[in-house]
Amino acid sequence: MGVTILTQFNTENRSGPQNIEILSKRILALGATQQGQFLVDCETYTSVPQLGHQRTVHVLHNSEQPATVFSLLETGAKTIPLATDGLFDLLMMKMSHFYTSKKQTKSESKGPRYEIGDFCVKLGTVTVSSNFKGVLVEVEYRPCVVPAMCWDLLKEFLQGFLGLSGPTTPPTYLQNRMQENYSPIDTIHQYLEHFTMFRKSPGIGMRP
Amino acid sequence: MSYSVNISVEATIENQIQEIQYDGTEIYQPPLTLSESLAKYAQKIDFSKTSEVDIKKEESSEDSKSDTDSKDAFQSSIWPWDSVRTKLRSSLQEICVLADVLAIAKEKRYLVLDPVQQEPLETKPMVQIYARKKALGGAANVLLAGAEKMKNSQTEAARNRTTLDFHIELLRLRQNWRLKKVSNTIIGDLSYRTTGSKYLQTGTFEVTKAEDEEKPSSPPSSPLPGGPIPSKPNSALRVSIPTELQGVAYIEVLCQKDQEDLCSVNLNLMGTAPPPSNPDMHWQQKLEAAQNVLFCKELFNQLAKEAVQLQAPIPHMVVGNQIMATVLPGIQLIIGLRHSTSGDKKQQTPPPSKSDHDHVLEHSLHQLLREVHHKNTHHPFPHPATGPLGPSKKRMLAGPLAADRHELLEMTKTQTLLEQIVQQAQHFIMRMRTEYVLDTIAKEVKDPLISSHWNTLNSPTHSCVKIHISTHGYDAVCRTPLIIHVGEKSLKCICRDGKVMNMSYEPQELRDLIFCHISQHQIVAVQALAKTMGWQALGNSNHLGTGAVEPLGNSSSCLLSSPTGDRIIAVRCEPQAGPQVSVAHSPRTDFFPSRLVTERKWEHLGGQFRDVRLDKMEGRNFLHKMELLMASLTSNS
Repeated sequence: MGVTILTQFNTENRSGPQNIEILSKRILALGATQQGQFLVDCETYTSVPQLGHQRTVHVLHNSEQPATVFSLLETGAKTIPLATDGLFDLLMMKMSHFYTSKKQTKSESKGPRYEIGDFCVKLGTVTVSSNFKGVLVEVEYRPCVVPAMCWDLLKEFLQGFLGLSGPTTPPTYLQNRMQENYSPIDTIHQYLEHFTMFRKSPGIGMRP
Repeated sequence: MSYSVNISVEATIENQIQEIQYDGTEIYQPPLTLSESLAKYAQKIDFSKTSEVDIKKEESSEDSKSDTDSKDAFQSSIWPWDSVRTKLRSSLQEICVLADVLAIAKEKRYLVLDPVQQEPLETKPMVQIYARKKALGGAANVLLAGAEKMKNSQTEAARNRTTLDFHIELLRLRQNWRLKKVSNTIIGDLSYRTTGSKYLQTGTFEVTKAEDEEKPSSPPSSPLPGGPIPSKPNSALRVSIPTELQGVAYIEVLCQKDQEDLCSVNLNLMGTAPPPSNPDMHWQQKLEAAQNVLFCKELFNQLAKEAVQLQAPIPHMVVGNQIMATVLPGIQLIIGLRHSTSGDKKQQTPPPSKSDHDHVLEHSLHQLLREVHHKNTHHPFPHPATGPLGPSKKRMLAGPLAADRHELLEMTKTQTLLEQIVQQAQHFIMRMRTEYVLDTIAKEVKDPLISSHWNTLNSPTHSCVKIHISTHGYDAVCRTPLIIHVGEKSLKCICRDGKVMNMSYEPQELRDLIFCHISQHQIVAVQALAKTMGWQALGNSNHLGTGAVEPLGNSSSCLLSSPTGDRIIAVRCEPQAGPQVSVAHSPRTDFFPSRLVTERKWEHLGGQFRDVRLDKMEGRNFLHKMELLMASLTSNS
């Protein structure tokens, strides 16, 4: 478990598979080995009007933590994160009378997973309700848990294979948590941030 | 009659007082009405008495009549049922009258039945309580006396009885074993299933009542090998155990080096000497033996299953009732199930093992299966109400703590019984080898003394020994501590300076390490001694680069100079050859000018070293000799 940086890769008028292909070529050239696939998915539930003030629950799964279900409850004022075991999915099904899921917002990011030394790189194709939206690159540096201590290293590594489109500043979510210990829920926060952006953006309309 | 005066007796006009109020006014009961008083008086008449009188009158008249014609009525008067007949007759009359009265009263035209107010009985609560108390006390006394009598007779009977009652025996059996009644037989269960065992073999036994006629005949008749064994004569119970659970079983653990035994352990649950399964054994011992057989079978079955499944670099072998596993190169662990049935007990009894028992290994193999049983029944708390039972506590927390894939994979790894016992055997061998090496070095090397302290507390796969290297008589001057952690397949030595040395299972490596430390100890000790003598240490090196190449390790050396600085001692210590000492004088006491050294002042630069023949010197050990040497060199100046 280390620090993870999630960044969007500009598509530059290329389709999703082309982007992934280019990136995997670059990362393989650096000496990485592919270690299976990964999948992060997100489903959003909203409370029914009878419950009063509307709240939103995002339920996310990360294949890196297969035994865990992450959920983020947005109450307007603040966001409450929760890491639970797999039974939480069943609980959400029981609560379908109070929290209804929006099918068209089901988003996921999946693709190949590479390991290169202490880094773990995941190239994800993002789809929102099975429409292609973009490419997300996740890089994890495993020996360190404090973002401030390895941000520069990560930035350099990202720029090494993303080129100029690599990030120059830490993700907004991490910016005021740079000195704290990084935990898997922080990765989930970053994914949710990106998923919400993709949902709001107009559909590119290209099938992956 | 004419003189008689009529006295009228009347009730007082005043009515009965019902209540006196607080202001003194009295409230009277309302006077009875005419009909009420009539009813009251009529109630006081005892009609039965009058009727009896009437009957008597009738009888007497009848008697007188019968007396007159006694002769002809003789037959009737002596009829035995006469009184009964008359009584029945009078009662019939009464019933008839009652029926008539009831019939008339039902009409309500001629007769009306009014409820009559009963005069309230005067009750005093305290009197009632005393009466009841007395009555209850009496009853209690009777009961207590009866109980006492019964108890006395019971104890008397128990004291006198020689053979135990079947039911008492059954009760005892029931207290320790699981029994149930199936139709007309009593079936017991001695398997470990209630404590978490998942072994398939059933351990049922049957309990029957011992027949009385068998008792006298049992000593002469030889017991049948397979049949039911007659119980002890004074036991009223007979326990029949299935043939596969009869006899004595134990698990034999042997560590073999090639073909020669390194250690042998006889494991059985009932102590070192299994009691012979003679037919007259008490049922408790018989059941315990059978349960032991079942346990050993389960243990062996489990081990054999694992031995077949495990993918070891050198595959485990299962032949018959023996499992062979390679522990360390050249050393095999042999686990065997020995089961001797009662019939051919004498022939199969193995000779008592040559080496003494290792109770630790004996205990741990036993413990491992118990642990498995315990885990099957005891699930870690807290259980979620909706979650599955069975996963470990760590696995339960994995979800909320967001464990990643690697951690989850680690959790799935479990050690089988065989792996654990192999590890313990490896550790056992490692410990034995380390002990042997340390003991032989301590025996061989006399000059620095080597003492080893084994920690009394250790785990089955890890133990620790502390070694002190010191010189006799100088242990306050210098001592070199070493700590050796003995693991399963490796040794870890923590040296005096904090260096950690990892060694393999080969005992030679430890031996070499100790010898290196002995030579270093000598050099350090000489310097410490020199300090107390006022000598100065000019320099030292633990790994000397000069001189002949050592077969093992490096030689170490030091240079010492006397307090006045005119004498120098050089000490060189090699792990194999031991210490060498040389002495140099500067300036020399005598000076002969030569062509090269023309003046005396050059002699201050230091002279030639001359070897000291230590073996010719006085002194108990090396340090003692060095002390004498330094003392003599100091006094000379």
